[in-house]
Amino acid sequence: MKLGFPSPEFDDAVAAVCHGSATEAEMQALNELLRSDSRARDEYLMQVELHARLASNTEFFACAAVGNTAFPEPEIQPNLEHKDAIPNNLTTLPSRRIVAKALALAACIGLLAAGIWKLWFWKNGDKAGITSTAVAVLSRVVDVQWGPGGKLFREGSALEPGWLQLESGLAQVIFYSGARVVIEGPAKFRLVTQNEADCPTGRLLVEVPPPAQGFRLKTENIEVVDRGTRFAIHATHSRTEVHVFNGKVEVGSKTIPKQILHEGEAAVVAGNTPPQRMAAMAAAFSSLFDFQERSLAYEALRYEQWQVANAILNQDPSLLVHLEFQELNDGNWTLRNSAEHNRSVEDATIVGCQRAEGRWREKQALEFHTVNDRVRLMIPGEFDALTISVWVCVKGLDRKLNSLVMCDGFEPCTIHWLIRNDGVLGLTVFGTNAGNLQIAATPPVLTLDRLGTWLHLVVVLDGRSRQVIHYVNGTPVGRETLKIGPPYRLGSAELGNWNAKSGPNPAPNLIRNLSGAMDEFELFNRALTDAEVSELYVKGRPN
Amino acid sequence: MSADFQRRFDDSNVAQQRFISLFLRSEREIFRYVAALVPNVSDAEDIVQQTALVLWQKFDAYDPAQPFTPWACRFALNITRQWIERRKRWQALLDNGLADELAQRRQELQPEFEARLKHLNACLEKLPHLQRSLVEAYYYERANIDSLSKRTGKTAAAIYKMLQRIRQTLRTCVENQVKTEAA
Repeated sequence: MKLGFPSPEFDDAVAAVCHGSATEAEMQALNELLRSDSRARDEYLMQVELHARLASNTEFFACAAVGNTAFPEPEIQPNLEHKDAIPNNLTTLPSRRIVAKALALAACIGLLAAGIWKLWFWKNGDKAGITSTAVAVLSRVVDVQWGPGGKLFREGSALEPGWLQLESGLAQVIFYSGARVVIEGPAKFRLVTQNEADCPTGRLLVEVPPPAQGFRLKTENIEVVDRGTRFAIHATHSRTEVHVFNGKVEVGSKTIPKQILHEGEAAVVAGNTPPQRMAAMAAAFSSLFDFQERSLAYEALRYEQWQVANAILNQDPSLLVHLEFQELNDGNWTLRNSAEHNRSVEDATIVGCQRAEGRWREKQALEFHTVNDRVRLMIPGEFDALTISVWVCVKGLDRKLNSLVMCDGFEPCTIHWLIRNDGVLGLTVFGTNAGNLQIAATPPVLTLDRLGTWLHLVVVLDGRSRQVIHYVNGTPVGRETLKIGPPYRLGSAELGNWNAKSGPNPAPNLIRNLSGAMDEFELFNRALTDAEVSELYVKGRPN
Repeated sequence: MSADFQRRFDDSNVAQQRFISLFLRSEREIFRYVAALVPNVSDAEDIVQQTALVLWQKFDAYDPAQPFTPWACRFALNITRQWIERRKRWQALLDNGLADELAQRRQELQPEFEARLKHLNACLEKLPHLQRSLVEAYYYERANIDSLSKRTGKTAAAIYKMLQRIRQTLRTCVENQVKTEAA
């Protein structure tokens, strides 16, 4: 193939290159022409430049917001819906695209900085249904060789009771009780319950936060019961060393009477002889400490990335409310709304609630526990579409209906967003007439193995495309056609509870308090797309 | 958390934000630079994404006294070269030194591009409604060719041809504007 210049064939070839549809022969012919004819080369560059500017100059299309009538998008394309929603605010489109890009970019560079680019592609495999008996999660592994005949696990795997056999390498297991164990191979480690494990051989570093106190670890000759601490174990078949670095532990066995080891103390137990006391030696477990420190640094980094991404997100004009659950001092009874463009929504008020640890150690959260615990919000206005996003760690589904976000009472045009006790996510939308309501429900998605882990839950209420979409961890889990049209209102509403407006002693079915923690809440006055919801998830996911 | 640790994290926080703002300001220029070599929009965007990651890795070495875009474009050129190396078709287009030649010549032609393409917006406005809508759907909404094909009932080849004709119309229009200006 040979190209002349100027010629229709030349123009076709340039167009095909721009569209990505050029054949190798066309490309080769262009190469020859462009290297030999400087006029052709300049014309090529000019045509490509024009094409590139069309693709990169978003302000050319700022007026596109009124909707593309000649090439209408398919009915459920949320982009167009959102354009229609704000015909008078033409400049928001390009800036939103920039915000989304900045978000993605921040997430990317953060991942790269942490050297875990591969995680970007890794999807947490869904664990099977409500019968799951998992007791822990494998949170990090480094250079692990799993033992022959044993199961192979990946980072993020939920772990059921059973054996982990490491030939070499390091693995961190977080028990659902909160206890964190770093294991160094070669090791045999058996998960027994959420708060109990066996380790006949291997080296371990165990860190037990207050809720997991009482964590039990058995070797061949002794049992160690934690009393709120950090300790290390080196176990071989007949001999166990226990080193305590913080707090204290209780050591004993059938033949050895219980005794307490304090901070800085260690004991060696061989056979049935009484424990031999010595000083704890951190240096002997330096590889385990290093690993733990790196995990913590990584956590701090993820927390920091989240903060950067939020700084950008808070500029989004469609963001009505953003509660980041920061600065939760005991004397502070408000949650700051950090959405920059919407000052119409005041800060939220905390009623009751315990301060707790959020997705990362340094991140704060509020824990809802009793029937009084709640966060109250007042959101004025009427909306065609809404997107609500929360990060929650559900501890249990104690009530028949457990509140995520609920408007007070049963007012016309308001909503109730909740989790049913069988793990179904539901959004109730009330129509203008009394008794007119619709419940959009998902299949059971809050399965037992997801309790106690941080989850990203989103509901999109889109009055224009008339659908309700639920998402768990960035993935759609239910789409339902919406029969009740806009406007929608929120008004007085609560997170983690419900004000039924029913009087001082509500009937049991009107008690709908959540049991669990929340550490982020976002409300947008438009329907986010699948891609945007997934970006929100990436922005906030714990690891 | 120790004060030192806190400071280190604060520092990297600031660096990240500074990087993001610099990058977003230059992104368009970097995209056009890459597109001169790999004009297909989604491929060029991939390369720009990869470039962003490399730039962030090398950001420590960036001298704030120097303009960001040329610094970034040097890396973009390298990434583009690596990207091309793995794609035989694009090698056929850019082999035998053509990549470097195009990148260099594009710099020289910048003033001419500016003189012409400053009229692009006005020319876009003159397009008939149907054409303008297609440009908008393809370049702005980034609708893929299959969905455009479905929406219009036309074949992919027909849509490509329409887009090509529209660009030719725009090309002629900006030339005429330049001539009118000169007259």
